[in-house]
Amino acid sequence: MNAYLAYFAKRLVQFVVVVFIGVNLAFVITHASPIDPVEQSIAAVTSFGSTAPEAIAAMRSSLQELYGLKGTVAEQYVTFWSRVLRGDFGPSLSAFPTPVSSLIGRALPWTAGLLIVSTLITWVLGNLLGGLAGYYQRNRTLKLMGVVAMGVHPIPYYIVALMLLIIFGFLWPVLPITGGSAMNLQQGWNWPFVSSVARHSILPALSLILIGLGSWFLGMRSLVSNIVTEDYVVYAETAGLDSRRVLGSYVMRNALAPQVTGLAMSLGGIFNGAVITEKVFGYPGVGTLLVDAVYAGDYGLVLGVTTVSIIAVSVGVLVIDLLYPLIDPRVELR
Amino acid sequence: MLAILRDLIRYNLEFRIGLFLVSIVVVMAALSVVSPYPAGDVYVVPPDLPPSTAHWLGTTSRGQDVFWQLTAAIRNTLFFGIMVAALSRVIALVVGLLAGYSGGWIDRVLMSINDTFIIIPLFPILILFYFVLRDSMSTPLLATIMACLGWAYDARLIRSVALSLKTREFTQTSIFSGMKTHEILAREHLPYVLPIVFSTTMNNMNWSIGIEVTLAVLGFTDINTPTIGGMIYWANQHTALVAGIWWWIAFPIGLVVMTFVGLFLLAVSMNEYIDPRSRLARMGGGR
Amino acid sequence: MSGAAEQAPVLQVRDLQAHFRTHYFGVNREVRAVDGVSFDVNRNEIYGLAGESSSGKTTLIKTIAGLLKPPLEMVGGSARFSFLPDWDAVGRAPPEVVRAIRWRHLSYIMQGSMNVLNPLRRIKHSFRDFAWRHLGGSKAEFDLRAAAHLERVKLDPSVLAAYPHELSGGMRQRVTIALATICKPEFIIADEPTTALDVVVQKDVLGMIRTIQQEMGSSVLFITHDMGVHAALTDRLGIMYAGRLVEDGETPEIFARPLHPYTRHLIGSLPRIGDTEQREGLEGTPPNLATPPPGCRFHPRCPLAMSVCTTTVPAMIETLSGHRVACHAVNPGMAA
Repeated sequence: MNAYLAYFAKRLVQFVVVVFIGVNLAFVITHASPIDPVEQSIAAVTSFGSTAPEAIAAMRSSLQELYGLKGTVAEQYVTFWSRVLRGDFGPSLSAFPTPVSSLIGRALPWTAGLLIVSTLITWVLGNLLGGLAGYYQRNRTLKLMGVVAMGVHPIPYYIVALMLLIIFGFLWPVLPITGGSAMNLQQGWNWPFVSSVARHSILPALSLILIGLGSWFLGMRSLVSNIVTEDYVVYAETAGLDSRRVLGSYVMRNALAPQVTGLAMSLGGIFNGAVITEKVFGYPGVGTLLVDAVYAGDYGLVLGVTTVSIIAVSVGVLVIDLLYPLIDPRVELR
Repeated sequence: MLAILRDLIRYNLEFRIGLFLVSIVVVMAALSVVSPYPAGDVYVVPPDLPPSTAHWLGTTSRGQDVFWQLTAAIRNTLFFGIMVAALSRVIALVVGLLAGYSGGWIDRVLMSINDTFIIIPLFPILILFYFVLRDSMSTPLLATIMACLGWAYDARLIRSVALSLKTREFTQTSIFSGMKTHEILAREHLPYVLPIVFSTTMNNMNWSIGIEVTLAVLGFTDINTPTIGGMIYWANQHTALVAGIWWWIAFPIGLVVMTFVGLFLLAVSMNEYIDPRSRLARMGGGR
Repeated sequence: MSGAAEQAPVLQVRDLQAHFRTHYFGVNREVRAVDGVSFDVNRNEIYGLAGESSSGKTTLIKTIAGLLKPPLEMVGGSARFSFLPDWDAVGRAPPEVVRAIRWRHLSYIMQGSMNVLNPLRRIKHSFRDFAWRHLGGSKAEFDLRAAAHLERVKLDPSVLAAYPHELSGGMRQRVTIALATICKPEFIIADEPTTALDVVVQKDVLGMIRTIQQEMGSSVLFITHDMGVHAALTDRLGIMYAGRLVEDGETPEIFARPLHPYTRHLIGSLPRIGDTEQREGLEGTPPNLATPPPGCRFHPRCPLAMSVCTTTVPAMIETLSGHRVACHAVNPGMAA
């Protein structure tokens, strides 16, 4: 039992370290910048006409307040952390006066839904097929899949999304290529809305799945082709165990643990992919929100989305890590 | 080294295909030197011409020859990838060897930082960088930033190799013969680590080029330097697909996909060559 | 109990040949790991196989057990079990036939026994995987039976609920012995089962194998390079060198009157209490089996080598009663 407690404590510490470094990184990046976001916003506003110097001074003061840029760097640092901990990033400039947190709150379920569903499909399917390919190494179909995976896997998310957009937007327009749902529908648990959401998510999900499938497939295939030579697999085969039992409980089961760790390790990369894919398909998640915030020069929103992304991915990793002992009881080895 | 290359060419299909693809890409990049048009200039040829004998891959809406524009773009893109890979290799090597060799609390601290960089989603961080730097975001600066963010995964691999090297006999011999830590790392361990560095270089180039393309397409890089992502950015700006100027998008995508697949195949085949299991089998070993 | 069935050997190996065939990066290789081996294993005996690592012991038993996987191939000869009379080797019988005899009649204690238990499966699940289909009964009945059998190897029934990593090396070894014997098989192959254990545990485990074998009346084919273990445990002994059997007979007989120079070397290298003299070493190294020396494969290292040894393979001849040897110096003029 102590081994488990030590394991959980270690994971929690790592979680705190990740969030601490990540959030500090965001603070350092924004504060080491040669460009003052306050002056930038003022320039954007005043460029449309002359504004009284008093008005500019008032604006500067309130923007500094808004961005948490008042006082010394140490004071700003404290302000920054207290905002992060309260989840309050002030109002959005581009959607004034909507708070940044509620914009993110609106976008997060879309991203979470897309990401969780497509990642689960990818992980399960990729590992299943890759495991079969590693076990039945002479199977032609599985070999061919390996070749396809090698060809598709290295292509970045953006290019795959763009190719799908070209195919389904221009060559064979059967699927919606933009948005999260049809515009005229009542949001909620009703069939027209849910089916519209599902239809709109097909292309973004497909591009995430196409890319991810290859890496799980190839990873699992090479894991399995090593595990089949392990003593316990050879021994089970020697004992005449049913080959499906050997594949399931001996080979795949033992390959699963590193693949779960791999999922935790690649969650950040998968999130990157989702950000990009969302923008290509105009999907109303945090990715689109982030890119549009950059275009709109919305400092609070960019900072808010970045910080929340770091925390959200870290939480995802923590959840996987905490579930890991269910997959592998040998936690003291980690 | 040459013998390894010969073996790989002769017996590894993946390596041959990868080498072929990368060669095409490199030749394209080299051709940029003899380009009849300065890469930065626009409206040097009639716009919107489809592929023909005069303009092999057509021309863009901005009056550029797609073929010659591509040569400059792929050169800059490759260069960017090499730059990031080289810089991040240095960090990955230092961190990986140091952590693996030192062990103890140095290892724990370094790996904790390392894992943090693996977990954190880097794309929003890069966007944040662009947001605060704006026009000051030059290509070398972006390469440096990406190198500082993209070393962690490979550092972990190098560490695991260093860990296994540490227990080998010759390390102990070196310690007893009075070599300093940095001498042991450089002279004894580097030769074992280099093949892995080589294969991770390919993967790291793929990663950095992929992100560069994405950032460029979104307009988050120096869009006046021609790159593959920059070409797609301008094609999107001119709604090339809607206007039917497909060659403006298709050829850059085709070339960059060749780059990705080529580099990936090189990395995979080299990994297979390095893998002790397949190496043993190749030498006819086994019980 | 007596009669023909009782007297007939459980395993008859005749002129068995198995080769490694590899093709990697353009290099073809053929390694004759087992090259014409013949011997019998009788009912209710422990037959030992001795020889250096790379002498082909492991390949030989893999061939006998029908565990051939490419690049290993059975090239010729036969290895016939009394419980599988219709086939001249396990590897040549159809998979469903082999599956039915595995563990029920033929079980295996593998080398590297530290890792033969699935690390992510509780011991009771391993028992069910391996033996339930042969023994039948309800799950509860089977678990009781497994617990009772574990007590024979002096393990607490609570071990059933444990994962392998929660057990010590010696406990894991006993679990594998219990696992290999729960179905009371006629034939057990044990491949260096004690090599990784410390001496005290090793003695314990060897005693256990002997006790269980006698209780069940099984036959055991026991492989180890450790001549001390052979002396303590086996009834009869075969000596392998470079893929061939060079001598076999009853263990006490072989230790008392070793005929082959290689056997003499193996026995002579055993430490004895009161030793004061430096032992004579053996020149050279075991041959590369891809290009074995012609004639007797031992001749490059043999102190008695003659010119005939470099050209002619010596035949395996019963020189003394029940004691066979393949050596030109012992049996002049007997070519294979």
